[in-house]
Amino acid sequence: MMTDNGDITTASVIAPPRSEVGVIGWLRTNLFSTWYDTTMTVISLVVVVWLMWFGLTWAFGDAEWRVIGTLGGQFIIGQFNTESACPGQNCFWRPQVGLLLATIVLGMAWGVAGGGTAKKVALAVAVVAAVMSLIPYSFERMGMDVRILLVANIPAVFLGLAITRYTPWREVKHVAIVGVASFLLTLFLLRGVEGLPGMHPVSVIHWGGLMLNVLLAVAGIVLSLPIGIGLALGRRSQLPVVKLLCVAFIEIFRGVPLITLLFMSQVLVPLAFPENFPQNSLFRAAVVITLFSSAYMAENIRGGLQALHPGQAEAARALGLSGWQITFLISLPQAIRNVIPAIVGQFIALFKDTSLVYIIGMLDVVEIGRAFIQGNPEYLPSARELFIFLAIVFWIFTYGMSYVSRRVEDHLRVGTR
Amino acid sequence: MTASDETATTEEMIVCRDVHKWFGSFHALKGVSTTITRGEVVVVFGPSGSGKSTFIRTINRLEEHQRGDIIVDGIELSNDVRNIEAIRSEVGMVFQSFNLFPHLTVLDNIMLAPLKVRKWPKDQAEEVAMSLLERVGIPEQAVKFPGELSGGQQQRVAIARALAMQPKIMLFDEPTSALDPEMIKEVLDAMRELAESGMTMIVVTHEMGFAREVSNRMIMFDEGVIVEEGTPHDIFNNPQQERTKLFLSQII
Ligand SMILES: Nc1ncnc2c1ncn2[C@@H]1O[C@H](COP(=O)(O)OP(=O)(O)OP(=O)(O)O)[C@@H](O)[C@H]1O
Ligand SMILES: [Mg+2]
Repeated sequence: MMTDNGDITTASVIAPPRSEVGVIGWLRTNLFSTWYDTTMTVISLVVVVWLMWFGLTWAFGDAEWRVIGTLGGQFIIGQFNTESACPGQNCFWRPQVGLLLATIVLGMAWGVAGGGTAKKVALAVAVVAAVMSLIPYSFERMGMDVRILLVANIPAVFLGLAITRYTPWREVKHVAIVGVASFLLTLFLLRGVEGLPGMHPVSVIHWGGLMLNVLLAVAGIVLSLPIGIGLALGRRSQLPVVKLLCVAFIEIFRGVPLITLLFMSQVLVPLAFPENFPQNSLFRAAVVITLFSSAYMAENIRGGLQALHPGQAEAARALGLSGWQITFLISLPQAIRNVIPAIVGQFIALFKDTSLVYIIGMLDVVEIGRAFIQGNPEYLPSARELFIFLAIVFWIFTYGMSYVSRRVEDHLRVGTR
Repeated sequence: MTASDETATTEEMIVCRDVHKWFGSFHALKGVSTTITRGEVVVVFGPSGSGKSTFIRTINRLEEHQRGDIIVDGIELSNDVRNIEAIRSEVGMVFQSFNLFPHLTVLDNIMLAPLKVRKWPKDQAEEVAMSLLERVGIPEQAVKFPGELSGGQQQRVAIARALAMQPKIMLFDEPTSALDPEMIKEVLDAMRELAESGMTMIVVTHEMGFAREVSNRMIMFDEGVIVEEGTPHDIFNNPQQERTKLFLSQII
């Protein structure tokens, strides 16, 4: 800005025209610049105000939200802590420890990223968990232990942050290692072992609620990206057999509805694994959802690879890089960057699709609500409130994903072309 | 040339014997034979589509020739992968469209091949990369991304990136054709400095000032064959072939 060239300095201090600055200026240029702009603005305003009035008076007046409170913890963990799943013991602490592990990982992510979006997400999760401890239930319905473990999410975030500050575990790969380990440990905790107090084995048919959606989504997201990359590379392979297999896989999994695949999984997945391989409906659902999503992921990534300038690989070859090095250091990083919106769209679709596991008898968060209404007809009038609540829950998760992806894109856009 | 009085000058760096190249049924190189010695700076010119790019791209095996021999620094180009890798790390290339890696910083662009191909330790690679940026005159751009640089700066980074592998030969394919006139000079200056340091260079270019002042030899291509070669003095003042005369009259 400041140069020793007098002309430029003078020119750069001329203020923009008055009407273009400030709130009034913004309103004038964006909302009221012509007569049809003005008309559209007024009509939109009327519609928005009317909708908000209608929505708010309903939400705080006529709406009957009791169904949400009645179901309560079932939304979160399904039938996990019921008498039939965990007889004579309190097993609520197990999913709660899973959540604590997740917040520790988020805290580490915050530390590694050095703030920004990771910090916001980590704090948001911890604060929401902690605030849930204030739900005005009787202690009979929500014990002190449950509440304390919820509040513990706040120190857990800072524990994760402290790990990256005061131990050598402060790189992305460490977050990934701790993340995967936490996920496996959570699965182990949820599953339980015979004979230990509070660790009564809980069959996966009792795993449910939002916990089930999140477990399936995390497994699907973490696995479908690498599998999708493998399929995309395979589809571009020069080896005809590899290429054919990948094309067949992609087209089959894209060509069949997920519901059908979930049905088929009960029959087909057992065929694909050794007989004594421990299987259950959750495992089968996870396999099918992951593979289904991988097929779409592969096509997204292939699109990104296709769009690369051939000069990129050529320059890398001229430098002496090997084919694998070119793929993993030059092509894929650029391809993935270019298709982040499509990849995140796929993650969001995957998260919503986890609801479909109701088809094989699992009680995800939506099915918990629907089955409850069906079994308790006196709550039938509350179906509207129930489904609006569920819609909001899903929206919060998917909006979170899309928010994070936009921040990541902004971050990566720095200087790229 | 400072290196011209050394005995090494007579050493053959690139030998091409009757090189043929087909793209499908299209005969792009129709028997090219020439020898380039150490420290020589050769300018290749000729009409569009005459096979100039194809010729220099066969030298580092970006294109495969189908007949004849190419021997680079004593290594014969064949389908042997080890030979190809050995050649590629000895021959640097600079492209018309820069082809920097947009997702890496300038410094990382330059350090990539030394780290991954030569397996140098990071501090050594960084030191060499910084001294090369110094050499092409833009050390202050090290942490920027290619997209934040001007065309001339990008091409100088591309030169530094190729030099980081410490090649014995540098190939340039129209390095200034994508540049605005005011940036051409900064790139040509970097190339001139490189030539003075004794690097063996093949430069496809129509910058005749550069050819006249810097090159030792000029090769005129047309329709996949070498029409004429000679010193810049002979080519400009006393061309033997009609096609050379015609072409030069069109571009000067
Ligand atoms: N990959 C390819 N496939 C088919 N034909 C090609 C290919 N590359 C080059 N050619 C053809 O080979 C001929 C020589 O091309 P080349 O790029 O070597 O020309 P050039 O002398 O570098 O021209 P220019 O000055 O336009 O860069 C052209 O007719 C071109 O169409
Ligand atoms: Mg060319």
